[in-house]
Amino acid sequence: MTTQTVPKTAMSMRLGPRPGEVIDRGREFTFTWNGDEYPAYRGDTIISALAACGERIFSRSFKYHRPRGLLSASFVDPGCMVQVDDEPNVRGAHRRVEPGMVVSPQGVWPSLEYDVKSANGALGRFISAGFYYKTFIKPRRLWPVYRRMLRRFSAGGKVSPNSAQGYFDKRYAHPDVIVAGGGPAGMAAAVAAAESGAQVLLVEEEHELGGHLRWGNEADLEALRGLRDEVARTPGIEVMTNSVVNGRYDDNWVAVMQRNLPHVEERLVKARAKTLVAAPGLIERPYVFEGNDTPGVILSTAARRLINLYAVKPGTRAVVFSANGSGDAAVEDLGRSDVEVVRVVDARMGGDVVRVKGGKGVRSVECADGTEIECDLLVTAVGWTAPTSLMNMAGDRPVYNEKAARFFSSYLPDDVLTCGGIAGDGTLGELLAHASATGGEAARRAAKSARRLRGGSPQATEAQDPESRTPPEEIPELPVYEHPALFRGRTHGIVDFSEDVTSKDLVAAEKEGYDSIELVKRYTTVTMGPAQGKLETVNAVAIMAAATGRTIAETGTTVWRPPYAPVTLGALAGRIFEPVRYSPMQPWHERRGAQPLVAGAWIRPDHYGDPASEVLGVRKNVGIIDVTPLGKFDLRGPDVPRLLNHLYVNKWDNLGVGAVRYGVMCLEDGVVFDDGVTGRLGPERYIMTATSSGAAGVWEWIDNWLQTAHPEWRIHITPVTTAYASINVAGPKSRELLLRLTDGVDLSPDAFPYMRVRTGRIAGVDGCFMWRIGFTGELSYEIHVPAAYGLHMWEALMQRGADLGVGPFGVEAQRILRLEKGHFIVGQDTDGLTGPYDVGLGRMVKLDKDDFTGKPELVWQSGRNDRFRLVGLQPHDGSLVPPEASQIVQGKSEIVGRITSSRMSPTLGRSICLGFVAPHLTTPGTKVIVQLPHGGRIPASVTPHHAHYDPEGTRQRG
Amino acid sequence: MAETAPVARSPIAPVPPTTVEHGWEVSARRSAAELKITDCTPLAKILVLASTDGELARALGVPFGRAARGASGTLVVGSGPGEWLLLAPPGTAPEVMGCMEEVAEEGLASVLDATHGRALLRISGALTVALLSKVCAIDFAEEVTPNGAAIRSSVAKLVTDIVRDDRGGSRSYLLHCERSSGQYLFDALMDAGDEFGIEVDGFVGPGI
Amino acid sequence: MILLPCPYCGPRNVSEFRYVGEVSERPDPNETGVEGWRTFLYTRNNPSGWTTETWFHRAGCRQHIVTERHTMTNEVRVSRLPEAQLRGGQEERATGGNIASDGGGATY
Repeated sequence: MTTQTVPKTAMSMRLGPRPGEVIDRGREFTFTWNGDEYPAYRGDTIISALAACGERIFSRSFKYHRPRGLLSASFVDPGCMVQVDDEPNVRGAHRRVEPGMVVSPQGVWPSLEYDVKSANGALGRFISAGFYYKTFIKPRRLWPVYRRMLRRFSAGGKVSPNSAQGYFDKRYAHPDVIVAGGGPAGMAAAVAAAESGAQVLLVEEEHELGGHLRWGNEADLEALRGLRDEVARTPGIEVMTNSVVNGRYDDNWVAVMQRNLPHVEERLVKARAKTLVAAPGLIERPYVFEGNDTPGVILSTAARRLINLYAVKPGTRAVVFSANGSGDAAVEDLGRSDVEVVRVVDARMGGDVVRVKGGKGVRSVECADGTEIECDLLVTAVGWTAPTSLMNMAGDRPVYNEKAARFFSSYLPDDVLTCGGIAGDGTLGELLAHASATGGEAARRAAKSARRLRGGSPQATEAQDPESRTPPEEIPELPVYEHPALFRGRTHGIVDFSEDVTSKDLVAAEKEGYDSIELVKRYTTVTMGPAQGKLETVNAVAIMAAATGRTIAETGTTVWRPPYAPVTLGALAGRIFEPVRYSPMQPWHERRGAQPLVAGAWIRPDHYGDPASEVLGVRKNVGIIDVTPLGKFDLRGPDVPRLLNHLYVNKWDNLGVGAVRYGVMCLEDGVVFDDGVTGRLGPERYIMTATSSGAAGVWEWIDNWLQTAHPEWRIHITPVTTAYASINVAGPKSRELLLRLTDGVDLSPDAFPYMRVRTGRIAGVDGCFMWRIGFTGELSYEIHVPAAYGLHMWEALMQRGADLGVGPFGVEAQRILRLEKGHFIVGQDTDGLTGPYDVGLGRMVKLDKDDFTGKPELVWQSGRNDRFRLVGLQPHDGSLVPPEASQIVQGKSEIVGRITSSRMSPTLGRSICLGFVAPHLTTPGTKVIVQLPHGGRIPASVTPHHAHYDPEGTRQRG
Repeated sequence: MAETAPVARSPIAPVPPTTVEHGWEVSARRSAAELKITDCTPLAKILVLASTDGELARALGVPFGRAARGASGTLVVGSGPGEWLLLAPPGTAPEVMGCMEEVAEEGLASVLDATHGRALLRISGALTVALLSKVCAIDFAEEVTPNGAAIRSSVAKLVTDIVRDDRGGSRSYLLHCERSSGQYLFDALMDAGDEFGIEVDGFVGPGI
Repeated sequence: MILLPCPYCGPRNVSEFRYVGEVSERPDPNETGVEGWRTFLYTRNNPSGWTTETWFHRAGCRQHIVTERHTMTNEVRVSRLPEAQLRGGQEERATGGNIASDGGGATY
C-alpha cells in the first residue's frame, strides 16, 4: 500500500447536479482511504465520497468476515464503520469527510479485498448461535489462548494510547420543550411550541434539519424550504444538528449529545425538559433472504440519499423490490439517474426476491417466479421500524399493529408526546397538522409544569396565574396505512448485520429452548451490536414469532434502553469535578517541598522529607503541625450540654467555662463513630472537634438529631473547620515558644493546665483560641487562628522559634507520635464493629445517663467478655515492622487478631504496634504470632498499656 | 511586643501584581472583559442564626431564598431557613455584629463572624449564565432566579451559595463556599469560563 | 435523575440529597431490649408502593425533610418537615411540585 499524490480514482459514479444535493462542487479535495488517495466534495460523507468513486466494500463483517458495503447510508449503517486517523468505530455514512483525513477499514487482515478470515464464511454453519459459548469453554487453561485468537477476529477499530486529548464538555439546560428529531414533524412541532411561548431545543441527528424531505422530490424540497424558514424565523428555538437525544430518564432528565461545536469534541447536555416531543421518524427495515448482505443490496432510503443528497449513482443495473411508496420513489430516482431499472418486483402484487448471488458485489437476483436477473444493485423497500427508544425509556411498552406492520406506543406519561411517522401515517399536510398541534400541546403542558416548579421555589417570581387552565390542544388522529408484513423471505439470511446473526441462528436458538425474545437476544447477541436493534429488532421478533408459532404481538419486543446512539467515553467523563481542600498554610508547605497526602478532599503535608527526625524534633524541642482539617463546630445555646450528653458516651453536665474534655461518639448501633475534644469558651458557647475525615458526617448527624428528634433544644451549630487555621505546637519547648507570641494569656502551668482552653491574641492576631491537649504525648498547645492569618501565624512560629529548634512536622510524624503514645485513630484502629469497650474506653461509658445514642447496644456490650480487644503489641524482633492489617494467628490458620497500626519508633528505636486480639490473648505479656502477608510468622507480646512511651502521661501534663 | 500588622490572605492565590487593600492581600489587576471574576473574600461576612418569625428576622426583612440591600448598603442574604449571611465592606464585621446584637430577640440568636470561614467570588457579565450552566444544575432563567435570588446548590460538585446581585443592570453573581475549597471553586470557574474569555478583576473596596 | 421537591427550596435534583431512610420511630432506649433495638436499627418495610422516608438536603438548605414516595413510579405526593417539627406547631408546607395534582402521571 503506497500513498499516491494523484487520486487513483475519478468520481465515476457522480451524477450531475441535483436540486437537493448537500455537496459543494466548488470545493473539491482529497483524502486517504485504505492507503490510496480519493477525491471528495465538501458535504460528502466518507462513504458517499467513496461510493462516488465506485467503491463498494467498506468493511468485513464481525464473525464471518464477509465483505460489506453500504446498506442504509445513514448513521446506523453497520457496514460503514471505519477508523478515521486514530479514532476507531467512526460512522462512515454519517461523518463528513475532510481534506487530508486518513480513513482505514477496521479489523481486516491482511486487506479489505482479501481477508483470510472470510474462510469463516465457508464454515458459517459451524459458527452458529452460542458457538463461542460452546466451543471455547474447555479446557480452562486455554482461555488466554482463545482470547488472543478471538480478539484478532473482532471487527473493532484500534484505540491509540497516544491520541491527543480532546475537549469534552458538559452543560445543564432547562428547555421547556425538547423535540427529538428534526424532520418535518419535529420542525413543525418546534415552531408551534415556540409560537406558544416555549423555549425549544430542537435536536437532529443528521447534519441538517429536514429528515426525509431532504432526499425527496421537488414538492418535498419546497416544503423543506418553508419549514426551515419557519424554524429560523421563530424566536425561542435552539437548533442542534449532528446531535442526538440519547436518553430520557425520570422527570424528563434528558441526555443530549451535541457534536456540532467547533472546539469541542462532544458535549453532554443534561437537560431538564418540561416536555419531550419524540419525533424520530421511521427507520427502513432490511429484508432477510440469502445473500442480503452482499455489497449492492441496499435500502430504498439509501438509494434515495445517495442520489439526491450526494449525487451518487448507487449502481448501473438495478432490481427494485418494493412494498411501499419509498420503493416506488426510488424507482423514479434511479430512472432519473441513468441507472437501468431492469425489474421492479412489487410485493403488493405478490412478488418476492429469493436470493442474491455474488461475492464482493451483487451479480444476480433470483425472483420468486423463478427468473434470475443479472444486475449489480438490489434496492429493497419492505417496511419500517418505529424507533421507540425514548418512549420505552418513559415507560412505554409499544404494541404491534398488524395493519401497519410496525409497533405503536401504548402508554406515554404526560410529559412525553410523539409526532411524525412514529405516531401514524398520513399525507405530509396531515402529519404537519398533527405535529403542530402536538407542539402546541407540549408548550401548554410545559407552561403548566413551569408554573408548578416555580410555585415551589422561594427564589422565583410569583407566577402570574398559577391556576390558569388553558384547555388542552386538540390533537388530530393520524390514519394508519396498510402495509404488507415482510420480514423474512423464502431463504435464510442475515438478521443482525452488526453481529452477523442469521435467521438460522434464531431458529436454532428457539429449538434449543430459548423461546423468549429477551433470552434469544442474549444468547445469539441479535440486536446487541453497534446498530442496537434499529435495523434488525422487528425482523428478529418476526422470525421468533414464526419459529414459535406465536404472533408478533405475543412475542413482543426487546426493551430499548439508553443510550439511543453510541456515546464516547470522553463525553461521559467530560470535565471532571473533584473538589479539593487546602489549608491557609498550603503555600508554605509547597515552598518547603512537603510530600502531599490526599486525605479525603484534603491535601495535607505527609512529611517534609524525614518523618523520623520530625518525630525526634517534637520529643526534644518543639514542632508545629498544620491540623486545619480537624473538624470544628461552634455550638451555642443553653441546651448544648444536653446535646453533648446525647452524642458522647461520657457525661458533660459539669464542664466548666475554660475546660476541655475528650469524648467518644457511638452511633445507635454502639459502634465508635468519631472522637475528639469539646471545650467550653463561654457560658453558652462551645467548640466541638471531630476527626478530619469524620467532620462532615458528625455535622450531618447533629443536624439530624436537632431537626428530626429534638427541635425543641435551643442550640445553634455552625461549622468553623476552615474559619480557623489550626496549628498544634508540640514539644517540651512549646510553652517557651508561645510565650514569645502571646498577649494577655497566662501560660504558666497553674494558670493554664492540661485540658483547658483560653482565648486571646497571638502574634498580633485577635480572636484566637488555644487548648492544651496531648495527641503527641508532649506538652502541646493547639492554637486556632482566624484563617486569613493562618499563614502569618505559621511563619511567626517558625521565625520566633528558630533558636528553639522549631520545625514543621507532617501527618506521618504525627501518626508515629500518637502510636508511641498509644492513641487509637477512629477508622484506622477501629472498624465498623468496634465498640468503646473494645478499645479500652469502657470506663468512659456512663450507662446511668437517661438516654444517649446507642445506649441499648452499649448496655449489651458492657456485659460481654467474648469480643476482640485493642492492645499494644511489641514484636520480639524490634527491627521488624509487621505491615498494617497483618493477621494474628494461632495453630495452622486460625485468625485471632490483626495489626491495626505499626511503625518503627524513632524515639524507642524499635517497632511498635496496636492491634486487635481475641479475648484469651489480652493479658499483658501474652505472646501472639503475627502472620506476615508475604510469608513468615513473627512473635510479638501484648504490652501492659496501649502507650509504648510515657504511659503515665507526665510529659503532656508538664 | 512589636508586631508587624498581620496581612490577611484569601484562600485564592491573587493573580499578580498584588496589593494590600483594607489589610488584605488582593490582586491589583483590572479587566474590562465581558466576563469578569473578582475574589471578594475580604468582605466582612456575618452569619446570623435566629428563628424565622422573631425580631431579628423582622429586622433583617429578607426571607430564605432572597437577598436584598440593607439600609447601610449591607447585602442581606437569606441563606438558609433561619440563617442569614450579611456581606459588608472589609473590616466592618464588629459594627455589623454590634447592630445585630442590639436587636432584642426573645429566642435563641447567634451572630458569628464568618469572614474567615468562607471564600467569596463575584462573576459579572451577560455570559455568567452560560458559564454557570457548565457547572451548576440550577435554572438561571429570569423567571426562575431573578435578581435577588439566593440559592444553595452544587457548583462543580461543591456546595456553594449563589446570590444573584446584578450590577448596573448587568448580570452578576456572588458565589461563596467554605474557605478551604475557594481555590478549587475559582479554578473550576476559570476553566468553565475559558471559552468565554473570563478575566480576573482585582478587588477594590468597599466592594459591595 | 428524579426531582425531589424540598419544602424549603422547591424541586431539586435528587443528587443534592442524601437518602437517610425509611421513617421509623425510635423506641425508648430504657424500655427496649437489644433485640427490639435491632429491629429498629435494621428492619425496614421496603414496600413496593408508598413509603415515608427522610432525606437530607445536603447541597441545599441542609434540612432533613420527609417525603411520601412511590417506589415504583418515584412519584412524590407529600414533602414536608419532620414529624418532630410539625408537632412543634409548624405548618406543613406546600410542596414544590412533583405531585400529580392533575393530568395523571405528570411528574412536575
